[in-house]
Amino acid sequence: MLAATLPKPDEHVEVEAIPHNSRVWQTVVWNDPVNLMSYVVHVFREYFGFPRDKAERLMLEVHHEGRTVVAQGAREQMELHARAMHDYGLWATVREAPQ
Amino acid sequence: MTDRLVVLEITRMEAVHLAGLVTQFADLLTETTDATPDDPALARLVPDAYSDDAEASREFRELTQRDLLDRRSTDAATVLAGLHSISGPTLVTDDEEALTRIAVVELDSDALGCWLRTLAALRLVLASRLGIVDEADHDDDDPRFGIYDWLGYRLDGLVRAAEGA
Repeated sequence: MLAATLPKPDEHVEVEAIPHNSRVWQTVVWNDPVNLMSYVVHVFREYFGFPRDKAERLMLEVHHEGRTVVAQGAREQMELHARAMHDYGLWATVREAPQ
Repeated sequence: MTDRLVVLEITRMEAVHLAGLVTQFADLLTETTDATPDDPALARLVPDAYSDDAEASREFRELTQRDLLDRRSTDAATVLAGLHSISGPTLVTDDEEALTRIAVVELDSDALGCWLRTLAALRLVLASRLGIVDEADHDDDDPRFGIYDWLGYRLDGLVRAAEGA
């Protein structure tokens, strides 16, 4: 098995407007044993407006890796995204982007 | 996303059972604390937003928890209104044929959102009650797992409808 074709972990992440010199934050969606894969794809499409292939790829990352970064940018914006994910019943957290 | 109507076909028996579950769910949502709810099922609906910062989680919770739970109550009320429109608020007949007759609920995009969020939340609550921590957790002899699976079937059907599949 080769990992050569794996995309770089962050290449799909939407980077929202970040003021110069401010820190970058991320919204992370975590796997859970309850939410349906079809529902998670629907949420990513409806809320973030992602195309289907991207929404499916992110869902599969959550499913297989246990979590994925769905957005990054200013902290307040990431909290809004986390709140929206909670509204849908997804398990999401906010964190500072790893250096 | 669109103003197209989604038509949900459901038997009266299903509608009555679902109305019972949603009513229980609505009762659960009357929690008014701004702290982490004691009930783990309710806590799952308003999880910590920071895994390593209790103070930031507390602040986030103060800002969001009440709105999130209020919104769930509104969602549940919309679902109940749709169900009562076809089943009546209580099961008033033991006529088997009437219970298995299929009724129709028409959902505009707002109502569809309420249904999707409520069915997903009902599954989270039920999973918490059933102690589901792994996707493989299932007890075929426990009828509550049958209800859990049925909610998943109904949710998946509505997701497909929402996606226009």
